[in-house]
Amino acid sequence: MAVYKRGYQRYQGPLTGRFARLMAMPRFAWERLLQQRLVVIMLCLSMLWPLLCMGFVYLANHLDLIPGMGGGLEKMVSINAKFFVVFMNIQAIFTVILAAMAGPGLIAPDLANNALPLYFSRPMTRVDYVLARMMVLAGLLSMVTWAPGVVLFTMQSSMAGWGWFTGNWRLGAGLVAGFLLWILVVSLVAMASSAYVKWRIIAGALVLGFFFILAGVAEMVNAVFRVDWGSLLNPSRSMYHIWCRLLGAELPEGPGTWEYASAIAALVVLLLVVLERKLRPVEVIK
Amino acid sequence: MTLQFRMRQAWTIARIEMRRAFFSRRALWVYLLALFPAVIFIGHGIEMTYRHKRWSGQGTTPAAALDSVNPRDTAEEVLKKAGKPITDRDWRRRKLTEEEETEKGGRIRRYEMVEGRMMMYYDGRRSVRLFFEDGVLKDKSIREEMNFDQDRQAYAGVFQYFYLRLAIFFGCLGIFMNLFRGEMLDKTLHYWFLAPARRDVLLAGKYLAGLTASTVIFTGGAMLSFAGMLWPHESAAVAAYWSGPGMGHLFWYAASAALACVGYGSVFLAAGLLLRNPIIPAAVLLVWESINGFLPDLLQKLSVLYYVQSLCPVPAPADPGMPPLLRTLLSPATPAAKEWAVLGVLAVTVLVLWAAAGAVRRIEINYSTE
Repeated sequence: MAVYKRGYQRYQGPLTGRFARLMAMPRFAWERLLQQRLVVIMLCLSMLWPLLCMGFVYLANHLDLIPGMGGGLEKMVSINAKFFVVFMNIQAIFTVILAAMAGPGLIAPDLANNALPLYFSRPMTRVDYVLARMMVLAGLLSMVTWAPGVVLFTMQSSMAGWGWFTGNWRLGAGLVAGFLLWILVVSLVAMASSAYVKWRIIAGALVLGFFFILAGVAEMVNAVFRVDWGSLLNPSRSMYHIWCRLLGAELPEGPGTWEYASAIAALVVLLLVVLERKLRPVEVIK
Repeated sequence: MTLQFRMRQAWTIARIEMRRAFFSRRALWVYLLALFPAVIFIGHGIEMTYRHKRWSGQGTTPAAALDSVNPRDTAEEVLKKAGKPITDRDWRRRKLTEEEETEKGGRIRRYEMVEGRMMMYYDGRRSVRLFFEDGVLKDKSIREEMNFDQDRQAYAGVFQYFYLRLAIFFGCLGIFMNLFRGEMLDKTLHYWFLAPARRDVLLAGKYLAGLTASTVIFTGGAMLSFAGMLWPHESAAVAAYWSGPGMGHLFWYAASAALACVGYGSVFLAAGLLLRNPIIPAAVLLVWESINGFLPDLLQKLSVLYYVQSLCPVPAPADPGMPPLLRTLLSPATPAAKEWAVLGVLAVTVLVLWAAAGAVRRIEINYSTE
C-alpha cells in the first residue's frame, strides 16, 4: 500500500491487564525516587519516631523491669488512643515533607515537557494516570505511616495479649483508615501542586505552603473573628479531629466530626477539579 | 570602573528585575499572601459594623441591667430587669438524664423533654446570650463585640504567627528564589551573564529588586491590615491610640516586616544559588523557625525570627490551643534590644550575601541538570 494511503490505525494487538498497566509507572518512579539521596535520608529520619514509639511500647509492657515505678507513671506510659494519635500527628509532618520532596517530580516534568500526549496515546485514561501517580506517593508515604503504625499495634498486641487486642482492635483499624485518608489528601495536594505549577521547586514550596499557610489562615480567622469554625480551613486540624474520632480519643474543642469530614471532602473535590483541569492531553495555545 | 558606576549598573539591573517581581503572574501569590490579613481584618470590621448597626437599631440594653442578671433567674425576672431582647428563640429537646450499664454490657439511657430558650441582648459593646432550661437561666455567655484591646492583641498574634512566620517567609521564598533559580529553570540566566557587568553587581541588582518588591508589598500589607484593624472602632478610641503609642506601633510593625524581608530574602537568594533544590533549606528553616520558642536561649538567637520579633511592639499572645505539656516547654528568650536586632539581621544578611557573591562568581550554567 502506498504510504499516502496509510491512515491512522489503532493498535489491535493484545493488551496487558489494567493493573499491570497501572503499575508500570510506579515501578519506575519508585526506583527513581529511591535513588534520590534526600528522599532516602528523609525516609530514614521519619523512621526515628516509630523506633522511639516501639521503645515506649516495650517499656510500657515491661514496667516491672524498672524498680520503684509508681502508679502515676504507670498511667502515663499506657498505650491507648492518645498514644496512637500523637504517633500519627508526628508522622503526618514527615509525610508532608516527603510529599513536598517526591510529589512535584511526578506530574510537573510531564507537563513542562509536553509528555502527556505520549502517555494518553497509550491505553491509559486520565484516571489511570492520576491513580498511577498517586500510587507512587501512596507507596512511599505508606512506608512512614500505616506500615510502622501496624507494626506498633502488632507489637503492643503481642506483648499485652489477646485481651488487649480484642478490646482495642479499633485503634489498629482507625490508625490504618486514618492514615489512608491522610495519604489520599497529601497525595492529591502534591499532585495538584505539581500539575498547577510546572516548576518542581515551586511545586514543592506550594505543597509545604499549602499545609503551613492554611494552618496559619485558620488560626488567623479564629483569632480575628473570635470563632472556631476557622479550623475547618486547616486540613491537618481536620484530620486530627477525624483521627481522634476513629481511634476513640478525646475530641478537641471546635466544630464536629461531620463538619471536619465535609471540609476534607470539599478539599478532595477541589483538588480533583484542579487535576481534571490541568491534566489534558492537548493544549490550545492562543 | 568606579563604585558609583557599579552602583548605577546594579540599579539598572534592579529596575529591570523589579518589573518582573512586581507585575509577573507569579507575583499574584505574593500579593495574596501579603493582603490576606488585611482582607480578614476588613471583613471583621464590616461584620462588626453591620452587627452594631443591626443590633443597635433593635435597641440596646444598659450594661448594668445585663450585669444584674444572675444564674437561676427565671425568664420573667430577666425580662423585667433587661427588657425585650433583640433575639428570643425557644425549642424543645431531649435531654439525657440517666445512663446505666446492664449486666450484658449494654447501656440504658433515660431522657426527659426540656423546654429551651435563648435570649440575646446587646449593650453597644457586648452581646450577651442567656440560655434557659425550663424557664430557669442555665448559662450566660458574654462576647465582646467591639473590643479595641482584643483586636490589637489579635493583630499582634496575626502579625507574628502568620505574617512573619508564614506570609513573609513563603513570599520571600517565591520572590528571591525566582531571581536566580527561576532564571535557571527558564534557561535565561546566560543572558544576564553575557551582559558587561560583574556577577556580584548582578547579584546586588537582583537582591535590590527582590528587596524593594518584598518590602513594598509586605510593609504595605502590614500597614493596610493595621488600618483594617483600626477602622471599625470608635473614632475617639482610635484618636487616643494615635496620639499615644499608635504611630510607634505602626512604625515598628512596618520595620519588622521590612527587616524580615531583608533577612529571609538574603537566605533564600543564597539558597537559590548554592543549592539545586532550595526547598530543602526552606523546609529546614521553616521547622527551625517553628520550634524557635522551644529551643534554648542561645539557639533561639540563631534565627531571623528572634531578631525580627524583637522589633514587634506588642508581644504575641500564647496559642490557647497549645497542649499544656508543650506550653511548659515554651520559653521565649528575652527580646534583643532594637538596635541589636537590626544590626544582627543586617550582619547576617551581609555575611550571607558575601557567600552568595562567591557562589555566583563560580557558577557555571548547565541547564540540562535542572
